[in-house]
Amino acid sequence: MEAPAMTNLLDKEIKRGSTEMLILALVEDRPRHGYEIAKLIEERSDGVLQFHVASLYPLLYRLEKRGLIQGRWVEKAGERRRRFYKLTPAGKKVLAEQRQTWADFFGALERVAKIKPA
Amino acid sequence: MPDWKPLVRQRLALLRLSPEREIEIVEELVLHLEAAYEDALAAGWSAAAAEARAVHGYDWRLLECELSRLERPWHPPAQTVEWLERRGGMRMESLWQDLRFGARMLLKQPGFTLIAIVTLALGIGANAAIFSVVNTVLLRPLPFKEPERLVLLRETKLPQFPEFAVSPANFLDWQKQNTSFERLVGMRPVNLNLTGTGDPERLRGLSVTEGMVALLGIQPQLGRGFLPEEHQPGKSNVVLLSHALWQRRFGGDPKIVNQTISLDGQSYTVTGVMPATFHFWERDTELWTPISFTTQQAQNRGGHNLSRVVGQLKPGVTFEQARTEMVTIAGRLAAQYPEVSTGSNVMLMPLLDFTVRRIKPALLVLLAAVAFVLLIACANVANLLLARAAGRQKELAIRTAMGAGRGRVVRQLLTESMLLSLAGGVAGLLLATWGTRLLLALAPPNLPRLSDVSLDGRVLAFTALVTLLTGVIFGLIPAWQATRPNLNETLKDAGRGSTEGGRQFVRNGLVVLEVAAALVLLVGAGLMIKSFWRLQQVDPGFNPDKAMIATVSLPKRKYPEEPQQVAFFQQLLEKVSTLPGVQSAGAITVMPLSDDDFVLGFDIGGRPPLPPGAGQSTNYYSVSADYFKTMGIPLRRGRLFTERDTKDAPHVALINETMAQRIFPNEDPLGKRINFKGGDKPDWYEIVGIVGDVKHYGLAQQTTLQTYEPYTQQTFSTMTLVARTTGDPLALSAAIRNAVLSLDKEQPVSSLRTLDQLVSTSIEQQQFSMLLLGVFAAVAMLLAAVGIYGVLSYAVTQRTHEIGIRMALGAGQREVLRLVVGQGMRLTLLGVATGLVAAFALTRLMAALLFSVSATDPLTFAAIAVLLLLVAFVACWIPARRATQVDPLIALRAE
Repeated sequence: MEAPAMTNLLDKEIKRGSTEMLILALVEDRPRHGYEIAKLIEERSDGVLQFHVASLYPLLYRLEKRGLIQGRWVEKAGERRRRFYKLTPAGKKVLAEQRQTWADFFGALERVAKIKPA
Repeated sequence: MPDWKPLVRQRLALLRLSPEREIEIVEELVLHLEAAYEDALAAGWSAAAAEARAVHGYDWRLLECELSRLERPWHPPAQTVEWLERRGGMRMESLWQDLRFGARMLLKQPGFTLIAIVTLALGIGANAAIFSVVNTVLLRPLPFKEPERLVLLRETKLPQFPEFAVSPANFLDWQKQNTSFERLVGMRPVNLNLTGTGDPERLRGLSVTEGMVALLGIQPQLGRGFLPEEHQPGKSNVVLLSHALWQRRFGGDPKIVNQTISLDGQSYTVTGVMPATFHFWERDTELWTPISFTTQQAQNRGGHNLSRVVGQLKPGVTFEQARTEMVTIAGRLAAQYPEVSTGSNVMLMPLLDFTVRRIKPALLVLLAAVAFVLLIACANVANLLLARAAGRQKELAIRTAMGAGRGRVVRQLLTESMLLSLAGGVAGLLLATWGTRLLLALAPPNLPRLSDVSLDGRVLAFTALVTLLTGVIFGLIPAWQATRPNLNETLKDAGRGSTEGGRQFVRNGLVVLEVAAALVLLVGAGLMIKSFWRLQQVDPGFNPDKAMIATVSLPKRKYPEEPQQVAFFQQLLEKVSTLPGVQSAGAITVMPLSDDDFVLGFDIGGRPPLPPGAGQSTNYYSVSADYFKTMGIPLRRGRLFTERDTKDAPHVALINETMAQRIFPNEDPLGKRINFKGGDKPDWYEIVGIVGDVKHYGLAQQTTLQTYEPYTQQTFSTMTLVARTTGDPLALSAAIRNAVLSLDKEQPVSSLRTLDQLVSTSIEQQQFSMLLLGVFAAVAMLLAAVGIYGVLSYAVTQRTHEIGIRMALGAGQREVLRLVVGQGMRLTLLGVATGLVAAFALTRLMAALLFSVSATDPLTFAAIAVLLLLVAFVACWIPARRATQVDPLIALRAE
């Protein structure tokens, strides 16, 4: 019974660590709102990665709290206001660091387990 | 498009975010749901499926947990997914958790909780208090050995006399001939003057035939009961003292046994002292003496002076068997002695039933009344819970969505209502202890067994049961309502569709029920008040204002001759009538309304004697000449008694109007002669006048035939003095006592009180019932008003949006008022109509308590209905006024 639990835990941790980077990456080039972020992750991963609101928004708030992204309400004529998130300079730095970490990680994985990152 | 906002907000409410933060998060999450929903629609999903997909994205537990960690990091670590799951009821099965959560939910809304508990405490407390009285008076066995075997026997002579005292000869025959009873004990009250130690005092006592101690199974605390030979003439100067008398007059002297005391001028040997807890018949009985029949008395079949005969059934003999046997014996005796006993029979009744029969109907009506109050309280709390459940609907729906079964949620809600009723029950019990004390303070002292009232195990059990039932009754409806809607509907509807309609229906139903129950109670109280008012309007036949009465009983030993007795009272009347302020003074043998009577059969001169059993009887009084003037009893025809009506003058009598009409319908009674049976030879009295009727047995009772004779011609040793004054009658008491003591320093005075007190004492039981019923009805009306107000207030809040639109579209204050008041008054009218029907059926049960008012008195019914409508109107008006204050813009934006 222990093995699956371990796998689960690992899976969770990897997901958590990686989703942070995914969000930062998605708001790197331009501000996006929450639903857009969730959609993009789902679309670009061909449905492999799915976000429930339940985990997405708390994560967004956490990132905002840590100063990595910044949310702002934007009102457009004829539309309801939406909250857009953009990357902060601090976020930029962290994103770069994480990219490096993941690149190192995948390099190591490949060398050990012959896994090719997509 | 479904309205997601309430759903999200409700969920987040549990996190207790700051308002600004909550608005932001809610808005963002709602945007997300909307976008997901629209995308699903665009992708070709049906509306329902699109909704399901959008909701699917919500892992509520996780969201709540994550947000909680994020937004409230200071919150104790207990707030984990596991904790939330337990709150959601997925795993938690233990009652303890339910209780803790319930308590927390209740404490979150202290205002609501307090109102609910107070309401319940009132209902439960009133029930516990009245039940403790019912329990003590009607249910608790009499405090004697094997009380269920004790039976009371009286004679009857239908149709005139449903029951009356037993004659010694009949009693002795019953004793000899029956096989059903272990023993029969006859008793009669006796009043004795105690002299010798301290002030002379008139004591209330009971004379008993052989076997009282064995009958009741209560041994004297000191000494012994009466020996058989002490029931023989000449040996019966022995006495048993009550514990109270022993303490009060003899300082609890342990050597009192075998000492002698002076009663009515004779010396009596004390055989013992009864225990402090021993009470029988009258509570203030202070001594017991043996009855001894002389040979002549033992043959007396026409004089009925054993007021009560109590029998102890033999083991195994049923009440019915004993009755059958006794009826046979009585029939045999009636046939054997036709001239005195034709038509006579015997009445048997369990002693407990006899003791409480006068108070029983009132108590049962009061018990029903408090049950109604509790019902109304339950309806109110159920309404509160329903309003609260409406606010919690999303929470409950989400719980259900998360897998909590309906039963599980019902259990949680019932736990909460049980917690409420439990708190209400405890508070109610406190109220009851206090209320019972108040009740006893207000209760007339002559109600049987009332002083023994206490909260015992049975009252506690009753209260616990009532509390439990209460919790289920008012908790079940909201719980059932709250768990009825299915998840999708609730989420979609945002709480304004069919489920809210259903809930409103139940709430409305509860209001109708409350109004109906309040109306029944109010009608009951109204009838009692009207009845009591009528009773107070009854002319007693005399003027009770500013008069003092006092009873003087001359001991036969000291005043054996009639002239001595006449001389004593003559001097006393002279002394009293010359006291300052006294207008006149008179005396009578048996005071009207005094719970005592003297009834005699009579013959009319010149008429053939009536056949046995067909004789008439009249209340008999011996009075002084000034009695009528002093009492304010009017002379209708002829003349009153004068000083010249002495023993040697021709004997004269007065009769009342009722007697003149009934006995002399077509002739002039003046000049006719009347003779009372029982004497050795006829003693004819000439009727010289007709006086006004006097109520003897009570204001509510029929006027009886009444005959008066001058006490100078027919003398008695016990007389009640009446003195009318111009000032405060009570100020006379010391002067009257002194006047008596100045004539004989060993002569006590008893029953000193105003004539007014005598009258009010005679109706205080009705007054007590009326007071209690009135209080309960007032509470019921208040609760019903609060209920109507609560429902309408809630409805106004719910309809703020609609009212806003109406006002935006041009509806004026008048229309809004009409809308809201109309809604409330429709409910009230329905309740009033229901209540009128119920009251019509129920008030008949209290007909026995009413005097001169029909149980379906249309005026009372109409007046109460109008009163209730008025109160309801005020309860409607306040929320309606608030509705007119709605700012259309704000109302619209709130959506």
